[in-house]
Amino acid sequence: MSALSSLARLEAAAAGVAQPLATVRHCHVSDRPLVLVPLKLAGEAAAPLAVMVGGEPDDPTTLIVPQPRNRDLRFAFASALAKIVLNHIEAGRGAVEELPPGKDGEERIRYGDAPQLLVPNLGGVAFLRLLGRSTRFRSTEGPYAVDAAVPVFGRWLTWFADRHDHPGSSLMGAMTQLLRLHWATGQSSLEDGNLAALLGWIDPPDGLDGPAAAARAEDPVVSPPAGPATDPTFDNEVLAPAIAAYDRSGPGSAAEERLRAALTSQLAPTWDLMWRAVGLLRALPEGASVRGRWERDRDAFTYYHQTFGEAYPQPRRDPPVRAARRLHDLERAQDAYDAQRAFDDPLVMAEHRLAGQAFGGVVTDCDPTRLDETGKRPKLRPHLRVSTADPVRLDVGTTVCSAARPALKGRIVELGDGGVLLELTGGMGRKLTPEPGAVPRVGDRVCFTSLTDGSFGAAKFPDRENTPWTHGGPPEEYAPTEDDADEDWS
Amino acid sequence: MIDTAPDLERLRGGAPPRNHDARTIAALTSNPGCARRGVLDAAGVDKDAVARELGFPAPFGQSQFAITRGNAFEAQVKADGGAELLALLRDHLGLDVPEVAYDDLEVVAGDEGRELRHSRTRRLIARALETGAGTLFDHPLLRLEIAGSPAYLEPDVIAFQLAGRLHVIEIKSFAVVDGQAEPEQVAAAARQAAVYVLALRRLVAELGHDPERVSHEVILVCPENFSNRPTATPIDVRPQLAVLGRQLARLTRVDELLAELPDDLTFEPGATLAASVRTVKARYAPECISGCEMALFCRDEARACGETGALGRSVRDDLGGIDTIGTALALADGSLAPSDDLAETAEQLRAASRLRAEALRGGV
Amino acid sequence: MSRAPGVPTPDELETRITELRAAVRRAMATGDRGTARELRAELRAAERAWDDAVLGDDAHERGGRRASPPVRERAHQALTLLGAPAAPKLVSSVYAAFFPGEIPGARLSSLRRDEERSFRAAPYTRPYYLCAALTADALAPARGLLAVSTWPLEQRIVGPLSLRTDFLTAAIRLAEHTAGLGTPSPETRRLLRRFAYAIPGAMTGTAGTVDPAALAEGARAELDVHRETDRRHRESAARRARDRLHDAERLFGRRPRPVRGIAAKGKRATKGKTDR
Repeated sequence: MSALSSLARLEAAAAGVAQPLATVRHCHVSDRPLVLVPLKLAGEAAAPLAVMVGGEPDDPTTLIVPQPRNRDLRFAFASALAKIVLNHIEAGRGAVEELPPGKDGEERIRYGDAPQLLVPNLGGVAFLRLLGRSTRFRSTEGPYAVDAAVPVFGRWLTWFADRHDHPGSSLMGAMTQLLRLHWATGQSSLEDGNLAALLGWIDPPDGLDGPAAAARAEDPVVSPPAGPATDPTFDNEVLAPAIAAYDRSGPGSAAEERLRAALTSQLAPTWDLMWRAVGLLRALPEGASVRGRWERDRDAFTYYHQTFGEAYPQPRRDPPVRAARRLHDLERAQDAYDAQRAFDDPLVMAEHRLAGQAFGGVVTDCDPTRLDETGKRPKLRPHLRVSTADPVRLDVGTTVCSAARPALKGRIVELGDGGVLLELTGGMGRKLTPEPGAVPRVGDRVCFTSLTDGSFGAAKFPDRENTPWTHGGPPEEYAPTEDDADEDWS
Repeated sequence: MIDTAPDLERLRGGAPPRNHDARTIAALTSNPGCARRGVLDAAGVDKDAVARELGFPAPFGQSQFAITRGNAFEAQVKADGGAELLALLRDHLGLDVPEVAYDDLEVVAGDEGRELRHSRTRRLIARALETGAGTLFDHPLLRLEIAGSPAYLEPDVIAFQLAGRLHVIEIKSFAVVDGQAEPEQVAAAARQAAVYVLALRRLVAELGHDPERVSHEVILVCPENFSNRPTATPIDVRPQLAVLGRQLARLTRVDELLAELPDDLTFEPGATLAASVRTVKARYAPECISGCEMALFCRDEARACGETGALGRSVRDDLGGIDTIGTALALADGSLAPSDDLAETAEQLRAASRLRAEALRGGV
Repeated sequence: MSRAPGVPTPDELETRITELRAAVRRAMATGDRGTARELRAELRAAERAWDDAVLGDDAHERGGRRASPPVRERAHQALTLLGAPAAPKLVSSVYAAFFPGEIPGARLSSLRRDEERSFRAAPYTRPYYLCAALTADALAPARGLLAVSTWPLEQRIVGPLSLRTDFLTAAIRLAEHTAGLGTPSPETRRLLRRFAYAIPGAMTGTAGTVDPAALAEGARAELDVHRETDRRHRESAARRARDRLHDAERLFGRRPRPVRGIAAKGKRATKGKTDR
């Protein structure tokens, strides 16, 4: 939160409709995302109840577990869902792109596309993560054998959930998060967790304003929760009797159909909201660096897909060195993602301007051919004076770059009343006169920032054999045990 | 101290005080600045009934699936003299094999009367402190002074005696998967357990012993991974105890809150109920929704007044504590001249407003 | 088939059911239990009508019950095998593990009351009664335990250590019984695993399998630790019971002393059952 986004909330509250927090889209939206709306049984960690899943708005598949306490039915459900998701993964990779060989000469490839999973909210991500945890160690033989697709599915779910933690990754998206990145509503962030209410503010249905649409969305009878938790009155008054009826009548009975209809009634409204939200996101112009980030996602997907056969399921807990490296990677990714968004989007850059880490204004004075002749050889060092009303909080000597063209670099020489004097140091060509158009002219609107596009040296971490004793020493190689396979799945 | 009991009774409109449980007591600590909640709680007003009467029923339903699961897990862990629990305590805390005594304090001579049960709890805890007799005490009935009146607490917990120290064991049915549980659920369990630790400490002190003989470490027993197998996790509840202690001390000063209220104020159901409730100032924040029965009424009121706090505490803080949306927007667009103390905030808001407009116009 | 006028079609019933469901949920959400109860009754009636219209006979329970011994007899068999007072849940697990069929849990919970009524109406007319275990201090019925009237009184007393010694005794008896049976069923294995998990040294086999001999040995070793103390408690309590209680009390426990109406009313109000 910042004063800027808080102000946007106030404006939204006053206007009765959501206000933009971005002028471009900061996430990738696949042409054919796999939308999943999962429901779980209350009181259980990860007992699936139902899911609506599919890659087209008019073609959802509904899977249910008619008796969620029955282990066989749960695994039948997992197996059916596994097939849909694994199909989507295989269909989603597109053509193979050959890349230039890597440093040590090994061949590199990248899939032309990657699968994208979309769920309604963070609860949906957490549920799929647990579903992945509860299925990836299953054995496909022995007394508790499951369908071969189940553990494969579990490993993929775990991988997707893990990528979700990676800032800027679009492989698995929580819709409320994606929407909140682009719009501010006139309600609190807690209330924004309700997908229907959030969309009600962003795109109110006919005849309603944001607050009215949100109020309607808070009535669980009219607008079922987006899961994975169901509404308690639904559980008590509809679901429980329907499950009891199923218990009496058995599979294939009309009671099962009735149960399916009841669960579908809870899923369908959210399904529609998901696709409406996909449409809203698609309508935004894509930010310049989205493509590059999706390329990283494709790299990650290619690597995991290629090495899937040789790897074990992900361990229950990361060993210490891996955990530290992961944390470091996530921090770096966060910094890069924040910076890229700012360069892509003036509204995000405005946050940095308000914080004093960037400034914008009009060029009032410019000496584009100024040379610094103090050294052995003369260097091109144009001077640029920018008048700005921004609360600049940068020191003299700070290196900054242009928001519009980050290659254009400069150094702050002077800070004074409503103006900043910059000495440009790079990004103007190799000659002693700048390339045409490289140096802004008097009257141009410019914005400079101390943010960098996030290239940091890789940190050094010990190999797993050299894990320090403070971190438990070298961990044992994790290999799944029989215990993993017969762990109950309550 | 002034005797506030008659005033509190009048506030309740003659209805009996609502009993506290660990959840309501723990909830007292979540919004200490709210006078409305302070008064209603101190008086033992049935907030749930008040909220319903006002047309804003609290959305606190519970799924029967969750209830069933919770009861079944608790019964399983406690079954057969706490067989599974003993196995856990032996593994995790090195409990000795001879320590298996199990005293059920729920029923005394077939009677569930509270005084009788409480006195049995006292007797057995006293004996445990003096002689070390007894290991597991199921369903102790404790008492805690809340705003000057005793509240009975019946925890779904077990008091556990090991080497002269008592521990609170709390059984919860949310899963601990690979050593991790949902943080909110753990936090809620810790807040509740702290109430029991405090009540048990008061009892130990009344019995003439050092209250520190009740450990600040509670033992949380939850299902492990996706199984029904229980696992034990120790939780240090010192932070929760500190907050709770402060909060209860504050509650006893309810006389100060009362002094500022009209003499004839009552929360009896009726046409004037909403007006009565409004007499006592609330401090609404979105977090109230998960803990306070009055939240939806207060939210409606806060929204109607255009309070910035209704958008979240962080929004309010970002705005330098400006209370209403109208004022903040007027300062942002310059239509309102700021007072001296708001000059800095106003400048920030004007800058924010200008930058937003500039970016949305498509400028750089 | 023509439909009698005025009989709603399945579609109409469906609509009605949807409306009633929404109405019940609204009523519950606003705390209006009375209305909810009425609406729920209407809802169930509509659902039954829908069932009859659409499902026909499918809706009603299929097949007759297999003839099996009465519940009290089944409980008696399980308890006799256990050799110690036990909670209904354990009684029904033991029955399911070692006998054909099962005992519905709900039937067991009312069993003790029925037995007491029968005994008080006509004492000692049955060869055995399923009765209470008695708490050592108050000689009151111990919560949720079933026992057999023909056992010695000491066996039905519950002191602080007795739940544990009973658990260990049951473990030994079930392990020994299993050893004489041949290949145990999955239910039996599951039951023994539950015991072995909670007894030190009893879990010796590879993951998931329990050696009955090891289980019995582990249980015996721990039982030796508690036996003497527990026996003293039981004997002194049993002496008191013989001195002070009349026959029905000796079987079903001392009645609670009369309590003042006020104290009993709302006595469970603070019960933390909604805590989680």
